Amino acid sequence: MTTKTIEAATEQSEQVSTEPVITELAEAAAITFLDRSNASFRLTEGGMLAVEHDGKQHEAVYVHSSFPHSNRASYLSIRTIENKEIGIVRQLEDFDEATAELLVQQLQVRYFAPQINKLLKVKEEFGYSYWEAETDSGIVKFTVRGGVGQIKLVTPVRLLITDVDGNRFIIPDYTALSDKEYRMIELYM
Amino acid sequence: MRFAFSLHFLIQNGVDDVQSDRTKAQLLSQMGVAEKDVIYELLCDRSVEGGFRDTLLVLTAKGLFIACSRKELEGEKVFRGFPLKKNKRFRSLAMVTPGAGSSSEPEAAATADDWSTEHIPLEDIESLSIVNLVASGLLVVKTKEERAIAAFTNGLMSRASLLSKLFDKVKKGEEIEPELLEKNEAEENCPACGMIYPEPERRICPKCMKKSAIFARLLKFAVPYKKTVAIVIFLMLLNAVCALAIPYLTGTVLFDQALAGKGAFAGQIGLVVGLIILFRTLSLLFGILYGYLNAKMAISVVFDLKSAVFTAMQRLSLSFFQRRQTGHLMTRINNDSTELQFFFIDGLSYFIVNLMNIIGITVILLMLDWKLTLLCFLPLPLVILLVQKAFPKLWRLSWRSHRRVSALNSMISDSIKGTRVVKAFGMEKKEMTRFHGVNQNYAGAEQRYSKLSGTIFPVLNVLTQLGGMLIWAFGGWMIMQGEMPFGLLLTFVYYMYMLYGPIEFMNNIVGWWSHCMSAGQRIFEIQDAVPEVQDKEDAIHLSTLKGDIELSNVTFGYEPNKPILKGINLKVKEGEMLGIVGHSGAGKSTLVNVISRLYEVNEGAVRFGGIDVRDLSSSSLRNHIGIVSQEIYVFSGSIAENIAYVNPDCSIEEIIYASRIAGAHDFINKLPDGYDTIVGTGGYDLSGGEKQRLSIARAVLHNPRLLILDEATASLDTETEVQIQEALEKLIRGRTTIAIAHRLSTLRNAHYLAVVEDGKIVEEGSHSDLLAKDGSYAGLVKKHDEALKMNEVVLA
Repeated sequence: MTTKTIEAATEQSEQVSTEPVITELAEAAAITFLDRSNASFRLTEGGMLAVEHDGKQHEAVYVHSSFPHSNRASYLSIRTIENKEIGIVRQLEDFDEATAELLVQQLQVRYFAPQINKLLKVKEEFGYSYWEAETDSGIVKFTVRGGVGQIKLVTPVRLLITDVDGNRFIIPDYTALSDKEYRMIELYM
Repeated sequence: MRFAFSLHFLIQNGVDDVQSDRTKAQLLSQMGVAEKDVIYELLCDRSVEGGFRDTLLVLTAKGLFIACSRKELEGEKVFRGFPLKKNKRFRSLAMVTPGAGSSSEPEAAATADDWSTEHIPLEDIESLSIVNLVASGLLVVKTKEERAIAAFTNGLMSRASLLSKLFDKVKKGEEIEPELLEKNEAEENCPACGMIYPEPERRICPKCMKKSAIFARLLKFAVPYKKTVAIVIFLMLLNAVCALAIPYLTGTVLFDQALAGKGAFAGQIGLVVGLIILFRTLSLLFGILYGYLNAKMAISVVFDLKSAVFTAMQRLSLSFFQRRQTGHLMTRINNDSTELQFFFIDGLSYFIVNLMNIIGITVILLMLDWKLTLLCFLPLPLVILLVQKAFPKLWRLSWRSHRRVSALNSMISDSIKGTRVVKAFGMEKKEMTRFHGVNQNYAGAEQRYSKLSGTIFPVLNVLTQLGGMLIWAFGGWMIMQGEMPFGLLLTFVYYMYMLYGPIEFMNNIVGWWSHCMSAGQRIFEIQDAVPEVQDKEDAIHLSTLKGDIELSNVTFGYEPNKPILKGINLKVKEGEMLGIVGHSGAGKSTLVNVISRLYEVNEGAVRFGGIDVRDLSSSSLRNHIGIVSQEIYVFSGSIAENIAYVNPDCSIEEIIYASRIAGAHDFINKLPDGYDTIVGTGGYDLSGGEKQRLSIARAVLHNPRLLILDEATASLDTETEVQIQEALEKLIRGRTTIAIAHRLSTLRNAHYLAVVEDGKIVEEGSHSDLLAKDGSYAGLVKKHDEALKMNEVVLA
């Protein structure tokens, strides 16, 4: 079978989902969406995020991104420390700019991981690889255990590297690496 | 006043770094803290907003002192495990912040203005807790309201959670046990270079462990076979010597002496041909002999290696396995040991012989004619250059195609396993598209590899032959000039071709060597790992385990700062049954892991008849504990063997009794092969209920004093459950039993019930007590009843 016919067939099967289904699902899921009409965020004096929703105050809430790698700033789940969801922010545009900035800031608190701009050196020895890289937070040096699962593609281009302590480092687009850099990491991917 | 910019290297290290000590003292005095008052310090390495910035937290009896750097970290951020160069700061850097990395040399010295300091009095702080972020933690202080004071990366988690624990103790005015501090300070770092071990459970510094050390350890595996090794090497040398004689015979002796009618062999063609045949045969015989011996030895060595690794693995605690993927470990036992087979077969002996060959041939060539020798070495640099340039690329391409083929395989296997779902959703087309994509990727990679290897090898061949051609040309010219006999030229060419094999071998040796050493290192990693749960040297051995089981104040978590069990207190009287109920994820199975000492408690103690499990030998514990759980280990073998797993010496009759008690006898007899039915991978497929009955029969045979039922019937349907329930009741009689279930019907015989919620016991008492209380348990019962009613309706 040629590629074309396969693609055509796939398209057909994907066309099944339509609007009414989504409405039904939404009713069943009963998710609370937060926007400027029903919620307001503020930063407490202690630097914690607080939210008021439907007249109820929630001190110290945390912003969890539903898609931290592929779409970090959308579908933000606002949760308490007990992991109870207060609601979901569909997109930052549902709030004013100051709040949006606040939410982005909170995302950074939770998901902080140095983004690698340039790989300086990757050296393997005895089952560990030793990395040196320039990141947006300065030069970092870290150690990655050999074997599967420490270096993985979380989107088609985004590479997540986890070191021996579980610290995370990110290469936002591995295809943008220079040939030399790519050669350094290819064997680990 | 000058402060070193980064504080990482000046905290509690006893390193005689005058500057650091002074700086720390200054910072403490700036905050008004005397050094002797310091209970604990923690240098957090991340700012709350993200980015690396230092915050020093100092806990004293007066409260919390915070020094916050105003500047982002300059220079480098070095995480755990990264080897640092031996520069002047080396020691202090590596030793100071155990657990996390440290910042490297501070270039800029900064002033006190770079730090903002603050003091929060003890009475103002309600609590100090840690919020888990992604790969980091956040320290939150609760005063009038909550406030994030500092953030740190993962490596500091255990230290931070100690800080929070110590704070609780200070706040409550409790005494701080010195061992609490010591335990944390004894962070493992290599005594030789100061580097923090990348894996705490393995006290071996990968940096200081030289390849030669691995090599020596690998050689040890060959020690039992040293006689064979000696014979093999001797045979190889004989083989080489015979092989070396042949070119001389076929060249110089045959043409220049026998045919030319000069020298010792003048005219004796028959003798020369005979000699050639003799040497060839000898060389062949020696070759066959050493190949035979070598293969036999290498396989024995690898057999030993595999056994050593598997034995080492069995010795390790459960946590080691749960932290690693099963596939990964299987690779280690299989592939890595096979890899090492090459080490013993190709490596050792061939290395020695090839080296001898190279030296021998070169010497002979030089003796024959040094000018020609230099000539034939002429293309060699070119060959080496090409190999060095092209081979890494070739290796990369082959790796890529290997990776793609694994992707292809896993895609195929996923899709076949999921056929039922694929068909049910009508997604065959989509699977085809997916396959097409992966297949194309693989084809592309394979093509690139073939293209390169298709180019490189013929070129290499031509190059190696170039040497021969040069000799033919130059040697031919010399013959014409009468400077050289024809036979010598022939000898020369033969030797030269003999040389290229060993040289190619040596060319690959670097890659091969590091490959083998990596495999060796991975294998030794398992051998060197220290089991987390270990018997004490003076462990008590009990022939019978009697008495009550008591858990006092048990706290446990698989990771630091993620306690699953929080201060559990429980008591089970001998011969009684304790039921533990709770939602999934409440910590019930973890409780079992801790009671049976598959994991060690973090705090508190588990006691059997008043003796701490940590003081008992593991065999006395294992002999008296039986676990029937959802996970059932059925190995390849007959049903009878599976039942007799823990007690292989039992009689056939006992096996039948046990399976009869477990209610397995009937279904087993229904099988065409009865107790001889082969089960496990590739054998007869037992249903969930059948497997469970098998495991109960196993437990009956084991005859434990303490029986743990961990959701033993959870995965079964109601009817099967009822049947198994009967079997279980027979098993429970007279034993101390701890039963865990989310189906309450399983627990109807329990003398005492405990309700676990979020790692704590929220209610305990007898069934009627708890119902009267109308709390969590009553709620669970109500829900359970409703579910049962629904079942009845459905069944009716």
